[in-house]
Amino acid sequence: MRRLTGPWRTLAAALVAGAVCLVGLNGGTPARAADTVTLNLYIGGDTNIFDLWKKALLPAFTKRYPRYKANMVELLHDNGSEGIYAKILAAKRAGRTVDVDLWETTPGFMEQGIGEGLWVKLSDRIVPNISKVPADTLAAADYYGLPYRGSSVVIGYNSQFVKNPPSTFDDLVAWIKANPGKFTYCDPNTCGSGTAFVTGAIYRYASAERFAGKAYDAKDEAAWQPGWKLLKDLQPAMYNNGFHPNGNVAVLQLLAQQNIWMASVWSDMGLDWYTRGQLPKAMRFIQITPPLMGDDSRVMLPAGSAHLEGALTLLNWLLTPEAQTMVIDVVAGYPGIDWKYMPESVRQKFKDVAKAFAPWPNPKYLADIKRLWHEQVVGGAQ
Amino acid sequence: MTDSRRQGALGLALVLPPLLVLIFLIIVPAVSAVIDTLHPPEGAGWTLTNYALILGNRVLRSDIRFSIVVTLAAVAVTFCLSYPLALYLRFTKGRLPSLLAVLFTIPLFVPVVIASFAMITFLVNHGMVSTVLYRMGIEWFPPLVYNATGIVLTEVWTTIPFAVLILGAGLQAIDDALIDGARDVGAGPLRTFVSIILPLNATPTMITLTLLFIGIFGSFTIPYLVGGNAPQMLGVTMTNYLTQYLRRLDAVTIAVIAFLIAAAVGALYVVSVSRRERHAL
Amino acid sequence: MSVAVGAAGRAGAPWFWAIAGLRRALELGAFLALAAFILGPLLTLLVWAAAGTWLFPNLLPEFSLRWWYYVLGNENVVKAIRMSFLSAPVATLLSAVICIPAAYAFARLEFPGRRLLLLSFLSANAFPKIGLYVSIATLFYRLNLMDTFAGVVMIQLINTLLFMIWIPTGTFRGINRNLEDAARDVGAGPLRTFFNITLPIALPGLIVASLFAFLAAFDEAQGTLIVGTPNHMTMPVMMYTLVLSYPQPVGAVFSVLLSLPSLLFLLLAQRYLRAGYLAAGYSL
Repeated sequence: MRRLTGPWRTLAAALVAGAVCLVGLNGGTPARAADTVTLNLYIGGDTNIFDLWKKALLPAFTKRYPRYKANMVELLHDNGSEGIYAKILAAKRAGRTVDVDLWETTPGFMEQGIGEGLWVKLSDRIVPNISKVPADTLAAADYYGLPYRGSSVVIGYNSQFVKNPPSTFDDLVAWIKANPGKFTYCDPNTCGSGTAFVTGAIYRYASAERFAGKAYDAKDEAAWQPGWKLLKDLQPAMYNNGFHPNGNVAVLQLLAQQNIWMASVWSDMGLDWYTRGQLPKAMRFIQITPPLMGDDSRVMLPAGSAHLEGALTLLNWLLTPEAQTMVIDVVAGYPGIDWKYMPESVRQKFKDVAKAFAPWPNPKYLADIKRLWHEQVVGGAQ
Repeated sequence: MTDSRRQGALGLALVLPPLLVLIFLIIVPAVSAVIDTLHPPEGAGWTLTNYALILGNRVLRSDIRFSIVVTLAAVAVTFCLSYPLALYLRFTKGRLPSLLAVLFTIPLFVPVVIASFAMITFLVNHGMVSTVLYRMGIEWFPPLVYNATGIVLTEVWTTIPFAVLILGAGLQAIDDALIDGARDVGAGPLRTFVSIILPLNATPTMITLTLLFIGIFGSFTIPYLVGGNAPQMLGVTMTNYLTQYLRRLDAVTIAVIAFLIAAAVGALYVVSVSRRERHAL
Repeated sequence: MSVAVGAAGRAGAPWFWAIAGLRRALELGAFLALAAFILGPLLTLLVWAAAGTWLFPNLLPEFSLRWWYYVLGNENVVKAIRMSFLSAPVATLLSAVICIPAAYAFARLEFPGRRLLLLSFLSANAFPKIGLYVSIATLFYRLNLMDTFAGVVMIQLINTLLFMIWIPTGTFRGINRNLEDAARDVGAGPLRTFFNITLPIALPGLIVASLFAFLAAFDEAQGTLIVGTPNHMTMPVMMYTLVLSYPQPVGAVFSVLLSLPSLLFLLLAQRYLRAGYLAAGYSL
């Protein structure tokens, strides 16, 4: 037994020495060259958006402005976003700068942050290209954030099995009931395409405009009752008896494996997967009438950002036609700036689908939609 | 006199470093969060309305019930698998036990996200097991993931090593002479187990059960990846309330309720151990 | 009563199985069932890691290594792996240094509030951290711990407290006091007794505790996301992305990459996890 002490002591000493060295080497942030500034971007969303930034936008931006480097943090399905929000809020309360220079996330956090004064108020004085963004989009967020890209949720279907695709929401409901187990949408907590379908059901019986503005009154949600009933009735006809997977990609995988024949998907993700051969060749995408929702993310600049000038430069560059064309080419999205600023060739390509989406409910209603969906549709509440 | 006071002071001094970490990083933030939940949504004063609202919500009640039931099921299955395993390893020699000793520790070294992912690919419909069965002619396959079954199976998979190790360590402490002595007076295996092994191994057993319960009850990753849409384990519910439904106060209230349940189990352990210590020689 | 030591402590022939043949069959059957349950999911993942595409009802996929290039080419992934394997061991070591003396105090010394304090360490794991984010983040800002290696270590440290206190306390409690008293009787001071008598006997239990503590630190995801970004990201955060949102083979490749060092630990730690070693820590 005594023999253990000797080598154990040496091992312990070695470990402590090693730990001290490591801490010394790794403490603090890496040194920066005097002239380059590293911007920290936090991007929430799905993998196609991460690729858009990593493979197209950031290389082009750093080429145009060699002074800047970019460091990107990926938040899948906005997982961990509450932590980032807490970080920004805590920095403000402690009176410090924060290492978040630009944050792309769901409108909900933008909304919360406006109340706490966390974001830079944008104007064409500091971001000249902002004049290209449609004015009502900016006004809806009080100029605290904006969508630099758009996308709409469409219906993807496998034309090998679906000969007559539905053209209205009612047709879609009828199709689902006639083809049990061949349709699903993802859990609204984890993806926008699922939320869009659920909101579509609600808007079948209530008007979209009523919930898209800034006003919020929980009592108005009584108008959603028929929508909940519709969704609840559809549950038995859903894939796997009413199972809603986690995330956009899970649904696309179900389509790819031909486990389902139709689903609500993001136009940009669907087209992206299709062109990369990850969906069956027979896959098609259409927009129904009335159209489902579109445009799901906001970009904000924390007021306490450590590199505000760089962040503003980046945001300004994002709104140039050059950057916006990448949005279209790489992820088949819609531009965040007005179509009239886009090159003619691009405008021609998107003639039919441009602007064909309904407005989202405001973030407070959206939060309630997700909660009530869990309670009313899958949770078994009456 | 002085000696026991010196012992007391030394004890407190030794305990201080981790205690300070606990106080500043958990207790202080937790207490301030609890205080938040005791104020009504608007205005000042003390009230339990937040708790009434949460407990009055039928879906949340079912989430709480679900969490408790799933946790108890997972703890029971793990315990029933681990105790015999620990006993077998303790009392048997040979190739098989040696192999088994390596086998059961494997899940320990697999991160929880990977374990969940592996379970899904293994047990999902059209996954490994169902494909093998399909090839053998069996077309029907029960839903084993994206529901409570999946959660229980994955939790069991990840916690077996922990349970076997702790129980096994306790069993090692039981001298063979006691077992042989019992055999000599004619006790059968069951009698020996109930009268000798079970009581002597009581403390590790209680530790195992307590830590298993607390760990599984509050878990997030496994229910998030392997669970269904509803009802959900509280770890997932809380996260949704905070990040998706934007109701921070509700999330913290649920957190406090979850904590109280976990703390009650912990208190059970302390009480049972204290009673045993009082009965010890 | 003699002290049970090492291999000699194990019982002789298993005496509570009646029929030898039935016993063999049962043992083998149980072993195979357990092996299938534990190894099955991992082997499935291994096959996925070598797959190009794999569609039902094929028993095996088309094999391809292209997803390996995809994962290994991602520099964020490599950075995260490095950070995790640096911070978790440091957190474990720090935890051992501050907790093991405390565990000894809990096991051997009488002081006011002992039981309450022991129970309070449960709260480190029992109180869901979601409710605490803003407060912890504010504190870390004030202490300049955000986005530092030390900050990540602190967050991981929290997760290790429970294991590093409770298991060593149980271990120390199980050590026969007579041994320590005997050492004192021959004149050894308290520190000498601790290092030469108590610690070696307790070592297997302490190593088990360190193992669990390490794993708890390693798996920490939500806290390290807040504190470690952007320059000190850990693996668990990266894992969600790779496992949830890329084609199955990508998650499988990453899982294999991660599990290799872990399996190495497994083989090295086998020595300590063997029953005989743990037996050395206990006696009657």
